[in-house]
Parts: sequence; C-alpha cells; structure tokens
Amino acid sequence: MRIVNLKVNGVGQAFLARPETTLLLALREQLGLTGAKRGCAQGACGSCTVLLDGEPVVSCLVPAATVDGADIATVEGLADGEKLSDVQQAFLDGFATQCGFCTPGMIMSAEALLDRNPNPTRDEVNEAISGNVCRCTGYEPIVSAILDAAERRREGAKL
Amino acid sequence: MLTEVHVPEDVPAAVSLVAAGATIIGGGTSVMPSLNDYGSPPTELVSLRRAGLAGVNIDGTTVTIGATTTLSQIEHEPRLEILNPVVRSIASVPVRNLATVGGNLFVPQPHGDLAVALVALNARAFVLGGLDDPAAALDGPASASNGPAGLLGGDGARTEVSVEELTGARTAGLVAAVVFELPAPGSFKYLKAARRRYNSASLVTVAATITESGGVVTGARVALGGVSNRVVRARAVEEALIGRPLDAATVQAAARAGLAELSPADDAYASAWYRRRVFPVHLRRALLGH
Repeated sequence: MRIVNLKVNGVGQAFLARPETTLLLALREQLGLTGAKRGCAQGACGSCTVLLDGEPVVSCLVPAATVDGADIATVEGLADGEKLSDVQQAFLDGFATQCGFCTPGMIMSAEALLDRNPNPTRDEVNEAISGNVCRCTGYEPIVSAILDAAERRREGAKL
Repeated sequence: MLTEVHVPEDVPAAVSLVAAGATIIGGGTSVMPSLNDYGSPPTELVSLRRAGLAGVNIDGTTVTIGATTTLSQIEHEPRLEILNPVVRSIASVPVRNLATVGGNLFVPQPHGDLAVALVALNARAFVLGGLDDPAAALDGPASASNGPAGLLGGDGARTEVSVEELTGARTAGLVAAVVFELPAPGSFKYLKAARRRYNSASLVTVAATITESGGVVTGARVALGGVSNRVVRARAVEEALIGRPLDAATVQAAARAGLAELSPADDAYASAWYRRRVFPVHLRRALLGH
C-alpha cells in the first residue's frame, strides 16, 4: 500500500493504492469517477482512455503508483456546470453515442486530438480514435461529430 | 498478481531492483495485459518511469534514444522524421503515449515494428546489469566515452549489444538506450502490411537500409517482422540485392531467396500461408515503392 497523489480534473486527490491498483481502478473505485470504463483490460478497446499530463492513455495499463503527482483529466471534468464541452455537445447533436460504453474514452481521445490539432482532416480523426473501439455506431457519426467539434472550437475562438 | 511496484528515482536503484529479480515495466503496454487477468504468478515490478532514461540526443548523425522515450515522443520529434511512419504504424495514440522504445525491443512478434526498423538501422543497445545470454554481447563493458552521455547513469557494468541480438535474448539486464547512425537521405525503407490502416499487428513488416552506387546496390541491411517469432535479419535477401541494380527483377529474385528465411505462424491476423504468399509483394513495395 502506498499513498498516491493525483490532480484529477484540477482537484488534488490522495488515496491508498495497492500494488495492483491501476489508474483506472483508482479513478473508478476510489475516486468515484466511473466515466472511464473497464473494457478489455488489455489496452485494446480504449474505453478507459483518460488524459495523463495532457496526453491520452489507456488507464487500465497504468499502475497507479507509477503516476504519483500526475495531472489526470477524465470525461467528468469537461463540462462547465450544465454546459457541455464542444466535443460532448457535438456527440450529442450528431447522434454519435448509442450504448455509450465507448463514449467517454472516445471523447477524451477527441479532446486530445483537438488540443494538439485544431483543424484535423477526417483521416487524422480516424488515426486519433483508432484505439477506441465502438461496436454500435460504425464510427462515421463519431468522426463527423469530432470534425463538427473542431469547427465549433474554431468558431468559438474567433468570438 | 502484483505484489509490489517499485518506482526508483534513478538508474542505479532500478538496476539493483532488476538484479534482485523484479520485472521491468516501461510503459506497461506489454507487461500489464498479462497482469490484469489476476491469474499471473506473484510479480514484483520496477517501473522505469522516473529513472531518468527518457530523451532523444542527436549529435551529428548519431542518434541516442533513451529506453523510456515513448513512441509518441519519437512520432513528434522532427529530427527523427525517418521513424515517424514506423511508430505511426504501431498500435494507437493512447498506447503510443505509454509504450517505450526499450519495451518495443522485447514485445513478441507480430508486434515490435520499431525493433524491426532498429535492426535495419544497425542500432545498438546499451544494457546495464547482467545478460542471461552472454553470447549476445558484442563488446565488453562500454567506456564512458562511447556511452550516450546524459542518458546512462550509475557506475555499473555497461554492455553494448546489437538490437538484432537483443531482440532474441531471454532477458537482458536493463536497456538504457538505443543508438544508431542516421542513414543517408532516401536510403531507409519501411513498409508494414496489416489488416487495418491503423492499430493492427503486422502481417509482414519490411525495414531496410539500402545504399546504391554506380547503378547497383552496394549495401543492404534488411529486417522483417511478422514472419517469425522474432525479428528476422534477412541475409539471403541482402545477398541477392548486393551488386545488382535495384529493380523489379532483382527484388523478385531477392524475395525468392528470402522465403527460406521465413517461419511465419498462423494467428488471428493471417495464416502462415498468407504471410509467405504476400511477402514478395510487400518486399517489392518497400524497396521500390510500387
């Protein structure tokens, strides 16, 4: 057992981690943030994607003890009160969510892409979400929603 | 199950823990999947995340990459443009943000495409601590002058090993860095054939460094992935290329010669039969671009 300190969605958090506690387990079971999902636990489905120091990672493969002091962003931290982030709103408006299991990871991959590349091509979006498996949508509404969110962000930046 | 996760703050502490039997974890993308099933034997991990082994140093044409440099860091390093298509052919963004250069040397085929490229680039690895297989060591302990300055800490024994030998070793102490010479512009070739454009394991990966002079190939170093249980140095292909013009007839003959070096397996991505069948096509596309 060791004490691990994280800044999660801007708030300092401390918890006791067992050796087998992954970042995903810590978020879900100790900090109550159940947006990130446990899917494959192999790093293959992307449903556990969160941002670790600003970069998307599969949190199921990260022992919590190794990221003591890190800055973590999860889907729970995106909305400002009732106002969804551009990516969240675009997913909602574009029917890019069906069962919703992949959505938090998909949105975090999209947020990271748009932070790095405000004007991605469709192919760049495909690459950015290639680690996030969706079994419902066929991906097209998701890709379109991310491109829509990019446009909303750019328009927002002009205001 | 995991019994302990050590996170040493420097290289000597990491080397000591490895020597005591702890399993190395770089980004975790290879180690953690087997531990997440809760059925693995008791395992003590030593994480290299804080050991100070990340970074890229380029001195003239000599490239030194710290072992815990992530694949994403390579992807976004403009001075390593030749490796950009290599790392972008591997896994997905959230995995590349964790996966390390050192770890890629040890992932089983048909993964480990960066290791294939590094074999083609004649990369060497600096290893700290003992080797299970001393025959894998090319030279004795490296002197401070030929170690990658700033990336190797501690005073322990350092061994310089070719990445080609290392990828077949059982364990290899602690890889601290890989070092290679930037090839002449246009001489490095890379192609990975996979089931999907992004995030898929290799069917056939071809990496090669080819030099030409006077209309013929004067140097060839060819490495293959996806066609064996380890990275293959395709010496028969190299021999068939050298001294001949780099054209379709030469590459076809080289592919025929290379077939004997393949020992592919059936897996979820392709059959062994298919891999052998398409190898000549992908060798041609890699070397000739069409």
